[in-house]
Amino acid sequence: MRIFERLFPVLALVIPLAGVVWTIDQFGSASVERVATEALIRLVFAIGLYIFAGNSGIVSFGHMTFCAIAAYATAWQTCCAMLKPITMSGLPAFIRDNTFPLLPAALTSIALAGVVAFTSGLILMRLSSLSASISTLALMFILNVIYSNWTTVTMGSSTIVGLPVYVTIWIALGCAVLVIVIAYLYQVSRWGLMLRAAREDEVAAQASGTSLYWSRLIAFTLSGFVAGLAGVLFAHFMGTVSIANFFLNHTFLIVAMLVIGGMQSLAGAVVGVTFISVVIELFRRAEVGFSVGSTQISIPAGSQELILAGIMLLILIFRKAGIMGGKELRWPWSVRDDGTVVGVGQVRLAHSADSHR
Amino acid sequence: MLEVKQMVAGYGRLTALKGVDITVKKGEVVFVVGPNGAGKSTLLKTISGLMTPTGGEIRFQGERIDGRGPETLCRRGLALIPEGRHIFKTLTVQENLQVGAMIRKDSAEVRSDMEMVLDTFPILRERFKGVAGNLSGGEQQQLAIARSILQRPALLMIDEPSLGLAPLVIDQVYDSLRKLNETGLTLLIVEQSTGRIMELASRIYVLRNGKVVLEGDREELTDTSALDAAYFGFSSDAA
Amino acid sequence: MAYFIQVLIDAVALGSLYALVALAIGLVFGVMKLINFAQADYLTVGAYSLVIPTAAATPSMMFGGLPWALMIFCVVLSITVLALITERVAFRPLRNTDPTTLLISSFAVSYFLQSLIIMFHGGRPKSVSIGAALTRPIDILGLRVGGVQFLTMTVALLLLIALVLFLKRTSIGIQLRAAAEDFSMARLLGVAANRVIAIAFAISGILGGVISLLFVIQTGTLDIRMGIMPTVYAFFATVIGGIGSLPGAVLGGYIVGILSVFLQAYLPEEMRPFRDAGVFTIVILILLVRPQGLIVTSAAKERV
Repeated sequence: MRIFERLFPVLALVIPLAGVVWTIDQFGSASVERVATEALIRLVFAIGLYIFAGNSGIVSFGHMTFCAIAAYATAWQTCCAMLKPITMSGLPAFIRDNTFPLLPAALTSIALAGVVAFTSGLILMRLSSLSASISTLALMFILNVIYSNWTTVTMGSSTIVGLPVYVTIWIALGCAVLVIVIAYLYQVSRWGLMLRAAREDEVAAQASGTSLYWSRLIAFTLSGFVAGLAGVLFAHFMGTVSIANFFLNHTFLIVAMLVIGGMQSLAGAVVGVTFISVVIELFRRAEVGFSVGSTQISIPAGSQELILAGIMLLILIFRKAGIMGGKELRWPWSVRDDGTVVGVGQVRLAHSADSHR
Repeated sequence: MLEVKQMVAGYGRLTALKGVDITVKKGEVVFVVGPNGAGKSTLLKTISGLMTPTGGEIRFQGERIDGRGPETLCRRGLALIPEGRHIFKTLTVQENLQVGAMIRKDSAEVRSDMEMVLDTFPILRERFKGVAGNLSGGEQQQLAIARSILQRPALLMIDEPSLGLAPLVIDQVYDSLRKLNETGLTLLIVEQSTGRIMELASRIYVLRNGKVVLEGDREELTDTSALDAAYFGFSSDAA
Repeated sequence: MAYFIQVLIDAVALGSLYALVALAIGLVFGVMKLINFAQADYLTVGAYSLVIPTAAATPSMMFGGLPWALMIFCVVLSITVLALITERVAFRPLRNTDPTTLLISSFAVSYFLQSLIIMFHGGRPKSVSIGAALTRPIDILGLRVGGVQFLTMTVALLLLIALVLFLKRTSIGIQLRAAAEDFSMARLLGVAANRVIAIAFAISGILGGVISLLFVIQTGTLDIRMGIMPTVYAFFATVIGGIGSLPGAVLGGYIVGILSVFLQAYLPEEMRPFRDAGVFTIVILILLVRPQGLIVTSAAKERV
């Protein structure tokens, strides 16, 4: 029972997700299934970002970098054996002339993303949190400039097409569950707790020595791996890779999802991605137009983005900690040490969200 | 001049002040002492308008002032030098003083006040065009006091004027505070240590855990044992 | 040698531009700890205000059709108003939150404005030509200098000097610097919070308006992303200069501007597309040596 209680925050996320996926798989149309799969991949990415941003309190605008690195790496290894020597002639010969099996390709690509995250983290994590935030942006710009212009290897700003498409809704779900578990295990680990403590009071945490640097670096690296996984999933879901997909728009979308759900908890990440995915899909359909009786109704193109930015601002102003308010879902009938029952509404909050000056 | 009644204030769920009464009369030098975390700085921040009290009332020269912002209150004659002095380090000494005099429109008098201040603190005249960040701790404290005087406040509040200063420098600072008081300036000073306050105080409050545990005139507290007892929280008849 | 001097003029021109944007960002950061992403969109909206909102690729002029003095006035005025509106609507309610939340909120404001432009103007780049007469090369002391470069350098330098004089010599400028360094203390001395914050935003609006015009004259195109690069450069200018330091922002602006121009001029031909990556890499390396920036201020330590 205690195990169940301890794992409740994970189970409470995973079981409903699986339920929704099963329902869609059984009864949903192909287009709904596509939308859901894409949402699950975004969830993987959002959790990757959460592992770093949620636990450290440093928001990263640069995680698309790791996503892109892994997506391109898997494209190099698995895509278009015939065209590769021509379109990506600059690749090393053994990659250019061979096609690798999917799983090893995925794993090496994820590893590459993790290594890049670690290496860049070595520098970025030394900075104060605000400078680090901005510097993650630099990271993304560097990658964007390089991959957009490195034509012989990345095909520049053109789209690489012809990747094997193997990501089904169940694979996406499996990966989402996996990263939820990883994120949870991380945040209750010693390193995760240390980082969360530092988030609340950087000055005090810094006094405890260099461990802040290392705990940030670990989170950054781990989140780089997970973002890499998201990149691989994106690539093999779409079947195409294009650098334009790994830039500010997508970054904004994921950051918005995290903020709206609540950046400081895993449940917030899941709720945010789900909520925004549904909202976006509704608006996307409304932009295409739908008919009521005999009249065709549609809203102007671009309103989806406006609404999203609007919701995000409203959340920031009126409920800074997001929908979930920084809380995890907890076993509602848990018994505290002093014997009182803690209800869902009165979860013990280790951190008050309000800052004061 | 200043009446604080049953004031409650705090940060989020933490209540730092739990119903505090303090009175300052014109011309007095009132000290508030207390150990770390007693709520002394919160008291001054709340009176000055940097924080909003959650209960009680504050009257300054007869008018309710709680809930008003600091930019309004300083125009009514209330000045605060916060803990750590907070001079503008990247501005010159002159510019610091200019910001201090900013709320005043009477430029001729500002000029004569400026001369007066520079006479009182000659070191500031010497460093007039220099960047304030290069001043020593004692000089910075002098600048902070000078800057606040240029506001022409009716009541000057100072948070730990002796913090981080050498004993000799503290002498100088207290000396200038005494002179200012002699010119009619009312002072409300917070200190952590009781050591130096007797020479200047007309009245003393001891604050502990957000409450006033002792108050009295200097004459009443000449026997410092009651003061010490209240300060350290020994169970005593004083509390 | 002549080539070097031309490069130098370019470098000073671009450096001054970045210094200006960085100063705007630094001022706003100083008074409310906000790093304002939306600065990019002040630039973009300023540029787009030259033309009538349509989806056409070569739209007809709106402000761009006015006599130049009036055009500058209208563009600058509307961007200043826009900056003030964003402050009032989006940032003021968040005034006392932490810098990270503010940063995210400005990201949202930026995205909002960008979507608004797409809604009215369509997402594709447009061509627009103003100040064609200014693009002719001119001769100075026997050197042929691009008219646009000369214009940019002159305007940016003049604005920079004007802004520095404003900050140093006027009472309100001194208040602004005081507030940028220690906001609470400035309030205690009577500096009105709403006023200095509004002034900081107004300055970033004015600069945004002028700089947008310079960019349009230079490139002749409108693009929804046109404001992003200069703003991101200006971000780094403030970071390497030392977040919270105004002289640092100017210094950082010149560093990134000069780096950018010199890399463009002296990198081998095939490496030039990678110029921006080079600048950012150097910026990160500078941070490696000086994590707090070149000029360290107390504001850089986030908690007060």
